[in-house]
Amino acid sequence: MIVSRMSLFARMLAAGVLCAAGTLSGCGGSADSSAAKTDTLVYGRGGDANTLDPINTDIGEAVKVIVNVFETLVAYHEEELTLVPGLAVKWENSQDGREWTFHLREGVKFHDGTPCDADAVVFSLERLISDQHPAVYDPLRPYRPNFQMIEKVEAVDARTVKFHLKEASAVFLNNLAMFPASVVSPTAVQKLGKEFATAPVGTGPFKFGRWKRDQQIVLEANPDYWDGAPRIARVVFVPIADGSTRVAQLRKGAIHLAEDLPPTELDAVAKEPGIAIQACESLNVGYLTLQTERPPLDKLKVRQAIAHAIDKQEMAHVVFADRAHPAVTLVPRNMWGYADQLADRKFDPATAKKLLEEAVQEEKLELPLKLTLAVMNQPRPYMQQPLQAASFVKDALGKIGIEVTVEPRPISQHFEHLMAGGHQMGLAGWTTDNSDPDNFLYSLLDVDNISEHGNNLSRYRNDEVHRLLLGAQKELDADKRLAMYARVQELCLQDAPVVPLISTEVRIAQTARLKGYRLHPASLVRLRRAYFESATPGGGSRP
Amino acid sequence: MGYLVRRTGQAIVTLVVAVVLVFVAVRLLPGNPLLTRFGQHVDPAQLEKLRVEQGWDRPIHRQLFEFVWQVATTGSLGESLMRSNASVAKELSERVPATIELALAALTIAIPVGLTAGVLASVRRGGWLDRVLMSGSLLGVSVPVFFIGICLRGLFPSMPAGFRLPLDVVDFEPWTGLYALDAVLQGRWEIAYQTLRHLCLPAVALSTIPTSLIARVTRSSMLEVLKADFLRTARAKGASRFSIVVRHAFRNAAVPITDMIGLQTGLLLSGAVLTETVFDWPGLGKYVVDALLTNDYVVVQAGGIVVATMFVTLNLALDLIYLLLDPRLRHG
Repeated sequence: MIVSRMSLFARMLAAGVLCAAGTLSGCGGSADSSAAKTDTLVYGRGGDANTLDPINTDIGEAVKVIVNVFETLVAYHEEELTLVPGLAVKWENSQDGREWTFHLREGVKFHDGTPCDADAVVFSLERLISDQHPAVYDPLRPYRPNFQMIEKVEAVDARTVKFHLKEASAVFLNNLAMFPASVVSPTAVQKLGKEFATAPVGTGPFKFGRWKRDQQIVLEANPDYWDGAPRIARVVFVPIADGSTRVAQLRKGAIHLAEDLPPTELDAVAKEPGIAIQACESLNVGYLTLQTERPPLDKLKVRQAIAHAIDKQEMAHVVFADRAHPAVTLVPRNMWGYADQLADRKFDPATAKKLLEEAVQEEKLELPLKLTLAVMNQPRPYMQQPLQAASFVKDALGKIGIEVTVEPRPISQHFEHLMAGGHQMGLAGWTTDNSDPDNFLYSLLDVDNISEHGNNLSRYRNDEVHRLLLGAQKELDADKRLAMYARVQELCLQDAPVVPLISTEVRIAQTARLKGYRLHPASLVRLRRAYFESATPGGGSRP
Repeated sequence: MGYLVRRTGQAIVTLVVAVVLVFVAVRLLPGNPLLTRFGQHVDPAQLEKLRVEQGWDRPIHRQLFEFVWQVATTGSLGESLMRSNASVAKELSERVPATIELALAALTIAIPVGLTAGVLASVRRGGWLDRVLMSGSLLGVSVPVFFIGICLRGLFPSMPAGFRLPLDVVDFEPWTGLYALDAVLQGRWEIAYQTLRHLCLPAVALSTIPTSLIARVTRSSMLEVLKADFLRTARAKGASRFSIVVRHAFRNAAVPITDMIGLQTGLLLSGAVLTETVFDWPGLGKYVVDALLTNDYVVVQAGGIVVATMFVTLNLALDLIYLLLDPRLRHG
């Protein structure tokens, strides 16, 4: 409090002096800069959250706030993808994998002072999975299907929670570590009603402060956090839609961290003193879907020819400025379950041409083959420049005798089109939800997910793949699961319903003084350990 | 009196037509807003349930009727489709003042500068001052606002180039939503100063077009009047040059100028999308455009209604001002 009054006084003094100076250009940078406040971290991102109720969103901007306010029973390791205790200190499962018992941490309290006990866990999970629940205020629960394996949750005693599953599930634990399974304060949910979405109460390292839509979300440090209070007093999330504006604000010191920046801007700002860059391989894949129900893509040789014709290495270089690496399968290479023994199909235009000519002869087609390529006209994390990527594919396929027409659409219409199977070829991608290969392979390749709203965009049907994927969901032996996923990836490589293109790197720019925050491979933004190095007032990074 | 009634009637009809157009148009756009909410996790059962809940399975005229009924009986404009617990009326009550504050700031620059430039150009007709001012105003109308915005940001790197306050101010609760006013009312001088600083660049950028237009209209209107006989008489009677220009000519040139100022005010109040975007100004224009991009029907139709209402009301007010300014119209 004293600090903030002091700084307010200093700022008023500065304001007075600057007012006296009186001219536009006479105003120095310091009054605008927040560099003087060393206890507030201003986090610049592209958009605002849509809700802060964990069960109602799948928007990244909301998740970044949610994971700082709420916690789950099981959590991700600070820097890795392994699971560590969260609100549960330990857990065990029955032999058949259908009963899981979690032992809760002692003495954890919600930000409203109520205890985080077994009843709260049951309440939170029931809100997520029940068909009808009186405390669900927005019926839209995007992640609800991920928890459908849960039959019942019960409180055994105040510190013990038991989950009964419909059948054994290998992804259950990973899914419990996801933000929708956050434990919320039942008292607050019931008291606030639908306002809980804009005034969340959890157990996390930060307490909700205030939310001015499209301007600020303010989180205050939780001094009573069970694992030690955060080192900064406050985080302010601000939405700044334009990437170059985010860079400009970072230069001024008005924000301390900027994400989702255009690659060229990021490279330029990287060279400046006082600014640091963090990079991290992320768990995503950008791929080309080939709609296998639509001729001529129902022909294996045509699909294989397309897969042979695209030089992924060159694409990573040209389209992604080397901030991506070629993908062999749909599973990112740094994730458990990636089939590392698998060699990618070679980039080989000659073979591609030969395969295509064979297909043309066998199926009485005509060269050049005419195909459409659907593409989103807005950037995604796995494809920052989708239109350039589409041109690259168009050029590559042009060289083997396929004439491509690129069809750009806004993002929501694009995926509506692909899910409905209206495309021939399409650029798409996936970012991990739970860091499990099931999330990539089952979602994107299984016959269960062919529908108007399903994510098997290629409408790939393979009985062996289906059998393996369902089996792997229930297989609790990690080695056996790994072998099953390896086989699925091999079959996918052979059948080429998709051409995995690249996995991208996530990069952010930040004030060099900001320490203690590391990018997480699952893109979790957890700011508890962040702090500013030197506490000299006005010691901002920019002159 | 009859004129007033007729004019109000027209305004109401215009408003109704505007509301119906917006309501129907937004539903004709391709794409389903709920799909955007689901992202990569579409659950068909939930989707269908929500569609029915929103009433989209009913014919469009019934939806319109239900919407009008809801507004009339409850005063509620609904909740955003994209955000949980986001009352559109409440969001608008934060957005509209932001736009008004920016518009007022821009007008504070545009009116005096535009009028002075126009008058000066008219009395120095054909001279270098006239030429400089008119070329300047031509530039002002034709250069896109976002370009001016970007230039201003580059020219004044130390000025805040976005938002209404420094991003780390977390303890200011506005009362009316006009931050400068609220800060003064609350005695928060430092906040008031910061608000004005943050207003500078966006207001200058936004004022370029109205300033230029006002200058041009003032000049031509003045030239028209300066030729008039009554001014020759006034000159002959020995009235001073200043008195001729300001008291006689300017007053008689006022109707078209007021018209222009009114029109520009209406445009500014309906939200300056480009300026608001370049400067991350959380105003009405950006709010509605963002909603359009995600097909957020509820926000778009509410925003449309507010913009239409403001425009129509302002036009009505203008017509009444003419009546006061020009007695001849009262008998028209």
